[in-house]
Amino acid sequence: MSATTKKLDARGLFCPEPVFRTKIEVERMQVGETLTVLADDPNAEEDVSRWVKRNGHELISLEKKDNSLEFLIKKVK
Amino acid sequence: MAKVVLDADTLDRVGNTPLIKLESLSNSKVQYFAKLESHNPFGSVKDRAAYWMIKDAEEKGKLKKNHTIIIEPTSGNTGIALTGIASLLGYEVEIVIPEKASEETKKIITKLGAKLYETSDDLCPKVGAGTDQSIALATSIASSRPDKYYSPNQYSNEANFMGHYNGTGPEIWKQTDGRVTHFFTGVGTGGTITGISTYLKEQNPKIKTIGVQPQQNHLIQGLRNFEESAKPDLFLRRENTVDDWITINNETAFSAVKELFAKEKLLVSPSSATVYAAMKKYPISEGIVVGIFADDGRKFKSLYSQQNVFSPEEFDANLKQAKHLSKIVYLD
Repeated sequence: MSATTKKLDARGLFCPEPVFRTKIEVERMQVGETLTVLADDPNAEEDVSRWVKRNGHELISLEKKDNSLEFLIKKVK
Repeated sequence: MAKVVLDADTLDRVGNTPLIKLESLSNSKVQYFAKLESHNPFGSVKDRAAYWMIKDAEEKGKLKKNHTIIIEPTSGNTGIALTGIASLLGYEVEIVIPEKASEETKKIITKLGAKLYETSDDLCPKVGAGTDQSIALATSIASSRPDKYYSPNQYSNEANFMGHYNGTGPEIWKQTDGRVTHFFTGVGTGGTITGISTYLKEQNPKIKTIGVQPQQNHLIQGLRNFEESAKPDLFLRRENTVDDWITINNETAFSAVKELFAKEKLLVSPSSATVYAAMKKYPISEGIVVGIFADDGRKFKSLYSQQNVFSPEEFDANLKQAKHLSKIVYLD
């Protein structure tokens, strides 16, 4: 993982707050930087993935561990 | 931006707004009056709902001073009113607002000390657009931290109704010496129309209540058209207190803004102009007619310029000549 990866822990938050916080973080990042988002509301899977794609960023990976989701997002533009 | 300093007596100025006669519309058989809700301390009818909702939550033990954060989704006057009144009572406020809401409104809310969250329509497409995004985010923030947050939810909060049932309704009854025959207002949450109408009909069941709605896809902040927007729970509880409906289009509403200034020297908001246009259009042969003017025109300089109602220069000139302008806390 690159040294510039930021981390957002959205566990315990209900949708759409995880996607809202993701949006704010991504807006603050430079192009090329990556962000790890942790969430445990199952609705975050669809909300965050869709927002990332619709806004032209890259969802590098999505891992499911126990009840938790871990997104790795790259800011593309 | 400097925060506004608020006096403790500001809260005593919520309600008891003036009722003024619209001379140009009145004739020997029908007298028309406007209830100027801009005379509330934060400039709109929403001061009543905000005050009653917070007081009610305090009485029910839902709020702790210097601990509870009040969060509410809103696109306008409720954000201003809640922020002002809750700050006075010792609570922090967070307002969730659609990013396309007017810049004037956002600035006032920030100036009064609230934290603003701006939502966009791409956030969560399954919940809908505009305020629906803000409602979803406010709900999610509050529900994951119930010990910290309280959301009054003006769309279902009974205290919003009670503010009008106990305040605005009796005021109108008294100000018309019990002679009011027709009552007009716009509908957003339904608190104003159902609260006032329920009280007035208890005094005189013959009083007629007319709901005013804007056209679909309208530009009238604060009002809802129920063919395109859902009816709020608060409204549905007493929907039967409304006798009739009238729909006013954008063009008629904006031309009424101009007309009210030309004939009455009133600088009104788009929603107040919509109510005026409805009062003028609705056939009434005899009686005493009261309309609610929810706020005045001072937040709408940029909108009036965009819609070719008043150029910025005309707006400033009109502002100097306007009658019945109130003292608004954040404009000091």
